[in-house]
Amino acid sequence: MPGLLQMRCQLTVQDRPHLALGLEGSANKLGVGVIRHELDGSATVLSNVRHTYITPPGEGFQPRDTALHHRHWALNVINDSLRTAGVSVHALDCICYTKGPGMGAPLQSVALVARTISLLYDKPLIGVNHCIGHIEMGREITGAKNPIVLYVSGGNTQVIAYSRQCYRIFGETLDIAVGNCLDRFARVINLSNDPSPGYNIEQEAKRGKRLVTLPYATKGMDVSLSGILTSVEALAYDKRFRQDGKPKGPEDTDIITPADLCFSLQETVFAMLVEITERAMAHVGSKEVLIVGGVGCNERLQEMMGIMAKERNGQVFATDERFCIDNGIMIAQAGLLAFRCGITTPLAKSTCTQRYRTDQVEVLWRS
Amino acid sequence: MATSIGSSSGPPSHLSPSLVLLQSPTCKPISQGAEARVFKTYLSPPLPTAAAGFNAASPPQVSPILLKHRFKKAYRHEILDTALTKARVAGEARALLKCLRSGVNVPSILMVDAQEGMLGLEWIDGHSVRQLLPGGEEEEDDDPVTADSGEDPLTPYCIDADTITQLIGAQLAKLHKADIVHGDLTTSNMMVRRGRAGTEVVLIDFGLSFTSTLVEDKAVDLYVLERAFASTHPDSEPMFAKVLESYGKGLGQKEWGVVNKRLDEVRLRGRKRSMVG
Amino acid sequence: MDGFLFPHFPAPKSLAQFALFRKVENAAQLRKRIIGAAALAGAKGEEERDAVNFAFIDAKLITSRLHLQTAIHQAILAFTQDSLRTKYVHSEILFYLNPTNNITEALRRYGISDTSTDMIVVRVGDASLPPSNAQELMKDVVIGTIVPFSELEQVTDWGAVKKYHKLNSEAAVRDLKGEEERIAIDRIVTSTVAMKSVMQ
Repeated sequence: MPGLLQMRCQLTVQDRPHLALGLEGSANKLGVGVIRHELDGSATVLSNVRHTYITPPGEGFQPRDTALHHRHWALNVINDSLRTAGVSVHALDCICYTKGPGMGAPLQSVALVARTISLLYDKPLIGVNHCIGHIEMGREITGAKNPIVLYVSGGNTQVIAYSRQCYRIFGETLDIAVGNCLDRFARVINLSNDPSPGYNIEQEAKRGKRLVTLPYATKGMDVSLSGILTSVEALAYDKRFRQDGKPKGPEDTDIITPADLCFSLQETVFAMLVEITERAMAHVGSKEVLIVGGVGCNERLQEMMGIMAKERNGQVFATDERFCIDNGIMIAQAGLLAFRCGITTPLAKSTCTQRYRTDQVEVLWRS
Repeated sequence: MATSIGSSSGPPSHLSPSLVLLQSPTCKPISQGAEARVFKTYLSPPLPTAAAGFNAASPPQVSPILLKHRFKKAYRHEILDTALTKARVAGEARALLKCLRSGVNVPSILMVDAQEGMLGLEWIDGHSVRQLLPGGEEEEDDDPVTADSGEDPLTPYCIDADTITQLIGAQLAKLHKADIVHGDLTTSNMMVRRGRAGTEVVLIDFGLSFTSTLVEDKAVDLYVLERAFASTHPDSEPMFAKVLESYGKGLGQKEWGVVNKRLDEVRLRGRKRSMVG
Repeated sequence: MDGFLFPHFPAPKSLAQFALFRKVENAAQLRKRIIGAAALAGAKGEEERDAVNFAFIDAKLITSRLHLQTAIHQAILAFTQDSLRTKYVHSEILFYLNPTNNITEALRRYGISDTSTDMIVVRVGDASLPPSNAQELMKDVVIGTIVPFSELEQVTDWGAVKKYHKLNSEAAVRDLKGEEERIAIDRIVTSTVAMKSVMQ
């Protein structure tokens, strides 16, 4: 574009490898990781430890209990992470923590730990946007250069593209996040929260045969999911619904099983997500898709996205549960990138925020 | 008298007629979006003169049609895909008919095959507003308005930029008065053509349109167009102001006041909301 | 003879031949004959049905060549997809012309009446066969004069078209006069026929 100044990448050339500790606790996962940026520009994951707060079936996690969980496990997980990495706190260049978005109480308890370590060992502190963490870790692991990013988790559903120092949100949910939609439905049909409700929905869906009609709500590049949740919940109270998945007798053929509902929910919701991603790809002219966030490790979603990308002569990049699901290493990665551009968070500003949009972050480390 | 008019065998019977139409040699691809491919073709080629009999003296004009094919999406479950495609073809056709009945300039509908995702529309012979207004012609165009001369692209239309923006505003007012929201207003989705009663602006691509009486939806519709103007045409503010002026006139003082106030709000907050993690 | 060629349809349904008849004298007998043919059994019935195997359309309600073409096209399309709402492709043309889904009403309004003097006669047939003597067959049953289709403009009853399509209070035609109004009506009417299969 003429007349516009092309911003340069402000990442400094390293004279030595850098080390960062990342602390994540915006939802029910407490994650700690250590990353090292090598001289050749690559990154090495030295450790990536996670402890998840799992609630009984039918229950979600409450902010207060989740914060308690994080406080209780923080030191164990940090020690574990440092031990695995074989690194002492003294060797670290910076401490990175999740500033937001997320649940207030869990965010605060982890930020408190980060501040304490920072003061104890006199290490600079970096507050990281959780979504940026997902994107940067996904890019690092998969090697995707300039992908359209589909960020799908319990709290977020966004289609993102990078443009001029900013991850711009092209499309997003108009109401609830896709992970939230799946998790809440898992509670309705009493699926286990171990290892995660989303994983159990995915397994259940594999046995589903009947596609029931659910509302399909895309609006341009946005989606709406609450209506679908209402509809699929209603079907769980339908007279054709069999909780045990078995017909009552040989005559009982018109039935809906939990597997059918999981299957239908996934097929409908994922089709919507792939559709808005494709629209963004067509809009920007990109051929790469990167899926990040907890729902991103769903293999059916990856498969559907792969078919779409292939039809456009493109490619889909996805990571497995180690990096898709909330983790500390991604916070370390995004934090260290910012640190190497000269960004740190002074103690007085090391707050948390429940609302923190992806497009509010100035991305100085990309050109 | 003994020769046949059509080909001896006809098209293969296992293919649906709409798909055969796409394979005809006269069918030319025009563009491809995420959801649909657009072609220019003929529904009914002229009869050979020998067969046309006495009518051959004044052969009827054969005009091209625009075919919009919402092709199958392999990633979607087949049942879902078929139902969705059908609903979208139907939705677009209904919106167009509502526009026609409300006096909005849109292409007329010439064929619908919802089963195959096919919509056949009147071919609009002209250029997009994007191509005609300053700055819009930078990208590659198959059909540039001015080949290489420095001629004003508007000359063939006997019209100036002011009149175009005024015509746009008038069409949008009619559209919103009929409670139709376009959903994807850009200067590429408006065509300028020479009609019987002078040059006219025709709104196209109702793929994302919906019916709404809400002021919010109409304001967002205008906001999306404002952003499109700003990103495509340099110094677009006075041009878009003309669009709004004419829109306001068409809508009527009272209604316009309400929409304008909401448009200001939408501008302030943007289209997006803030969010919770 | 005038016709529409649709090369994308299977050969047996790829040609629609038609003619505009004026000064028709035997509309009443013709109607009786069509009704009688449907009830007749055996080889005689077969023969009689073949003789009147056309779509007989009241020309007063047709607004343009494109209007007619669209109705024929959509009717044949329905035939190829096994989704005829009426019994034959010829009656389906009448069904598509009518803006509602009421078949009886479609046949009554768009078919011929005892007093019709202007009618459009259509036969859907095979383009791969040598052009049949469709015109002669039409003349065998209709007593009237075949005129160039362009004479339709003297036939169309715009008032009736507006009434049947409920256009009298619509914004699109309210402020228009003469030629402008007729063009607007023709576009609406043609579009209505084209989208009938997805009408709400």
